[in-house]
Amino acid sequence: MRIIIKKIAEFPSNFQSYFRDWISTFRAKVTVICLIGLSLVPLLTQNPYFLGIFTTFMIFTIFAASWDFLAGFVGQVSFGQAVFLGVSGYVTAYLIRYLSFPWWLSLVIGSIIAVIFGLIIGIPALRLKGPYLALGTLAMSLIMYQVFLMGSLATMWENAFGTNLFGAEGVSQITPISSDTVVEYFATFLIMSVSLLILTHITKSNVGTIFKAIRDDETGTSASGINTTKYKILAFMISGLFAGVAGGLFAMRFRGVNPGVFQPLYSFYAIIIAAMGGLATISGSAIGALIFVFLGEILRDTQDLSLLIFSIILILFIRFAEHGLLKPTLERIQELWDIVLGR
Amino acid sequence: MIDSLINFLILGTIQGSIYALLAMGFSLVYGVGGILNQAHGAFYLITCYLFYWCYINLGGFGLIVGIVVGLIVVTVVGGLVYILLVKPLKDSHVGVVIVTFAFAFLIEQVVKVSVDPLYHSMPLLIEGSINVFGVKVLNHYILVVVASLVIVTLITLFINKAKIGKSIRAVAQDAEAASLMGINVDRILAYTVMISAFLAGIAAILYVPIDIVAPHIGWSILINSFAIVVLGGLGSLPGSVLGAFIMSYANAFVNFILFMPEISALIPIVVILFMLILRPRGLFGKKEID
Repeated sequence: MRIIIKKIAEFPSNFQSYFRDWISTFRAKVTVICLIGLSLVPLLTQNPYFLGIFTTFMIFTIFAASWDFLAGFVGQVSFGQAVFLGVSGYVTAYLIRYLSFPWWLSLVIGSIIAVIFGLIIGIPALRLKGPYLALGTLAMSLIMYQVFLMGSLATMWENAFGTNLFGAEGVSQITPISSDTVVEYFATFLIMSVSLLILTHITKSNVGTIFKAIRDDETGTSASGINTTKYKILAFMISGLFAGVAGGLFAMRFRGVNPGVFQPLYSFYAIIIAAMGGLATISGSAIGALIFVFLGEILRDTQDLSLLIFSIILILFIRFAEHGLLKPTLERIQELWDIVLGR
Repeated sequence: MIDSLINFLILGTIQGSIYALLAMGFSLVYGVGGILNQAHGAFYLITCYLFYWCYINLGGFGLIVGIVVGLIVVTVVGGLVYILLVKPLKDSHVGVVIVTFAFAFLIEQVVKVSVDPLYHSMPLLIEGSINVFGVKVLNHYILVVVASLVIVTLITLFINKAKIGKSIRAVAQDAEAASLMGINVDRILAYTVMISAFLAGIAAILYVPIDIVAPHIGWSILINSFAIVVLGGLGSLPGSVLGAFIMSYANAFVNFILFMPEISALIPIVVILFMLILRPRGLFGKKEID
C-alpha cells in the first residue's frame, strides 16, 4: 500500500520526463494513432449497432488485459476471471436497478467488491501452485455460477428484500450509461484508455519488476527477501479491480446480468483474447478483442459454431504462435516505417 | 428414514466407484508427468457421446458397439492430445493448462454442434434388479461396483508388476534418470495419458446410464476429479480412491439425508478450500519442499 501511495505522490514530477521519452518511441506513436483513430469512430458512423460493437470490444479489452496482467506478468493463470466480471456486474446492476445509484458510483462500488473478491480468492489460491491454481479458480467460478443459480436462495432473497438477485433471470432492465450511444462509447473509451495506461504503468514500475521476478522464479524471489505472498495477493486485487471495471461496464452495456456470466465461458473469452494479442503485452488485448468481437459478430447466428472456431484458434495460437499478434505485427510495421523513412 | 439411509449407502458407493476411476486417471497423469489435464472431463464427454450416438443410431446392438468404439477412440484421442498438444508445450505449465482447457472447450462445442445441446438419458446396461434386505438394488449398480473394483485392481497390478507400469513409476520418480536408463519418457507419458483417458471412458460408460448426457457435464467431472485429487493427495493412487469414496458419501449424505441437492454442487469447493487450508498435501500426499 505504502508503495502505491509513494508512487502516486511522485507521479507528476516523473510524468513529464517519462512522457517525453515515451512519445519518441515507435510503440508510443502507434498507440497514439490507434487512440486517435478510435476516438474518431463516432464521426464515421452514428449507427448504434456499430458503436455498440466497438463498446463491447473495449469492454472485452479491459477484461482480457486484467487476465493478461495476472497470467502474463505475475504468472498466476486464473480460470476464474469470470468471478470478478460476474460479481462486479451483479453489484453494479443491483445498485443501479434497485437503489438507483448513478452509474459511475455503482461501477466504483462494483469494482471495489471485485477487489475484495480478489483478496478472498487470492488467499486460498496462493496455496495452489502453477496449474493447480488454474483449476482452483475454475472451481471457484463454477461454484459462483451454482450459487447464483440457486432457486432457494432466490426466494430467500426475494422474501427478505423484495428484489431479484439470485435465480436464473438475474438482474435485468438496467439503465445504460447514457441513452446516447455516442456518450456510452466515449465513456467506455475513456475508462479503457485509463485502465490500459494504469496496467501498463504498473508492469513497468518497481512493483512490476517484482511481479515479473515472481513469474520467472518464485523460490528465487522469496529467497531475495521479497514477501511473494503479499505481492501475489496484490496482483490478484489489481486484476480483480480491472476485471470488475469490465464487469460493471458489461452489465450496463447488455442492460443486465444473469448467472451465465460466471460460466467458464467468460474466462475462456479473456484467455483467447489475450492469447490472440500475445501474452504479457497489456495492449495486445486490444488487438485480440477487436478480432474476437468482430469475428463473433460475423458468426453471430451460429453461436456454438463460433465457439468451436474460437477454441480451434486458441489451440493453434498457443501451440504455434506463442507471441500472439501484437509483437510480430508491430515489428513488421516498424520495418515498413523504417523503409518509408529511408533509414 | 431407513430408505434414505440405504439410498445414501448405495448411491454413495456407486458414485465412489465411478469417481475412483476418474480420479485415478487424473492423479496418474499428474503424478507421472506433472501434467494437469484440464481435458479430463472432455475424455469423459467423448466416450459419453460416442456411446450415446451409437445407441440412438444402432439401437440395442449399438450399446456394445458404443462401448468398443468409445473406449478405442478415447484412448487414441488421449494419445493424440499428449503427442500433438501437450508434448510440444511441456516446458511451460501455462501453455499445457491453456491448451488442454481449450481442448475441453472444443470437445464441448463439437458435441453441441454435431449432436445437440439438450439433455438425454441412456438405458441401463443390464436390466433387472435384485432384493437385498427388502430394498431393490438395480443389477446395473452391482455391475458398476464390480467393474470398477476389477479395473482399479488391474490398473494397480499393471502399475506395480508390468514392464510398462514399472517404467511409468520410474518416470514418475525421476524422468531424467529414467531416460538415462533407456526409457522413452515421451512414450511412457503418452501411455499414461492413454490409460487415464481409458479410465475416464470406462467411467463414462458405467455412469452415463444412471446419469444424464449433456455437453456441460465434462466440467463437473473435471472439478470433482480435481477436488478428489486434492483431498487424497496429489499423485497418490490410493489417496484418490479413498478420496473418491469420501467425496461421494459426502455428496450422498447431502442428497439423501439432508435433502439439500442444491448444496451438493458446493461440496467440491468446500473440500478444496478446507484441504488447502488445513492439509495442503492431501491425505496421502508426499511432503514437498519448496
